[in-house]
Amino acid sequence: MIYLISVLEGLLVIVPALLSVAFVTIAERKTMASMQRRLGPNVVGYYGLLQAFADALKLLLKEYVAPTQANIILFFLGPIITLIFSLLGYLTVPFGSGLFISDYSLGLLYMLAVSSLATYGILLAGWSANSKYAFLGSLRSTAQLISYELILSSVILLVLLLTGSLNVITIVESQRAVNFLFPLFPLFLVFFIGSIAETNRAPFDLAEAESELVSGFMTEHSASIFVFFFLAEYASIVLICVLNSILFLGGYLSIIPLDLILNVLNLFFDVNNTILYDIFVHISSSPLNLALKTAFLIFVFIWVRASFPRIRFDQLMSVCWTVLLPIVIAYVVLMPCIVYGLGIIPINISLL
Amino acid sequence: MTTTTFFLFLIPVLAIILLAVNLILSPHNPYQEKDSAFECGFHSFLGQNRTQFSISFFIFALLFLLFDLEILLVYPYVVSAYTNGIYGLVIMLVFFLVLTLGFAFELGKNALKIESRQGYNFNYKSWSGYSLIYN
Repeated sequence: MIYLISVLEGLLVIVPALLSVAFVTIAERKTMASMQRRLGPNVVGYYGLLQAFADALKLLLKEYVAPTQANIILFFLGPIITLIFSLLGYLTVPFGSGLFISDYSLGLLYMLAVSSLATYGILLAGWSANSKYAFLGSLRSTAQLISYELILSSVILLVLLLTGSLNVITIVESQRAVNFLFPLFPLFLVFFIGSIAETNRAPFDLAEAESELVSGFMTEHSASIFVFFFLAEYASIVLICVLNSILFLGGYLSIIPLDLILNVLNLFFDVNNTILYDIFVHISSSPLNLALKTAFLIFVFIWVRASFPRIRFDQLMSVCWTVLLPIVIAYVVLMPCIVYGLGIIPINISLL
Repeated sequence: MTTTTFFLFLIPVLAIILLAVNLILSPHNPYQEKDSAFECGFHSFLGQNRTQFSISFFIFALLFLLFDLEILLVYPYVVSAYTNGIYGLVIMLVFFLVLTLGFAFELGKNALKIESRQGYNFNYKSWSGYSLIYN
């Protein structure tokens, strides 16, 4: 029985994660289409909603091409590694209060580690294909991923300074007073730019700059291993948007200041024992909050893609190393001093 | 078996299932032209890959290694800042001062730039005074 529950819990996370990946692809195509005054996919299913499943089925039934010059084992292993490590990050995400697979005390460190291991998949895939486009694409992609990961981990360091814990749930719960978006707004911007670059999205999608590198590191990949890259890319977009909302927008905490509304209402009526109070309590930490925040951030990802032209690779790297990194390092020096000076260093006493 | 362990097993299994579905269900009739490396418009030939590449990529990887290690060394300080007090803060700041000096040295050495033959550069020198970064 206990095994059955474990199996169900695992599936309850991974199946909606994959479904959300499918719907993010269709949402992206639809949003891009309406931003460019096109219709977008509208044939398969109602309003084109089943397009992603049709694409996935088509790709799964396509012929796989294993180039003769490639190292076959690494060629297949690369995409698998990328997919596995981009999906493993969902392990420590708290979807609502009490809704998580693992309440791991080093949750954020785990997420960082897993997301950086996904780089190996790209490196392996590009190198093993033994094609110049794949090789150049994987070099670029790896350099970009590791550079921007540095920024992400430094910003996470500063968030940790205000929470004092690597546990993801503690980070969410310590934003009950105020979302970290407000005290750390410049860092949120840096983190968001970093996450767009980390997921290889336009305007930072230099790894698969179609005009010069065909399709970057996945030039030689076809059929299901291409699906793996595709799934991994969108799964990591969803995951990094979830991470953005957890770190800065308060995760599953309510968007509306329900406590304030409740207090104001209490001045006039006695709502504490009514059904309204129960509804408020349910809303205040429901998974829907996290979903709304994440969906909005994903929309911004697509919006950015539709709005900005692609920048050049050397510009991309100099933005990272000579603009974003000095800003973040200055913050790393400044913030501990402010936190110490104000005497607001957090302390988390374990309740066990 | 806890849920966590199951989750860690489930995802590789999922990937292998998807791969197996593809390998079993799809047609497979390779020929030489299809299996050769991709090239646009003419025959591809080997020997133009896995050769030399720009040193900048290696330098970035090297710098990433140092910086990430240094950031990760500060993580333990951050989660125990309350216990460490002023002593820990001072040590952390000295550590970061050394790191920043090294970073300024790298910037001054132009280690963080990729040579570009195109006209407009992001670091275009618009200021003629003395600068540690743009020279």
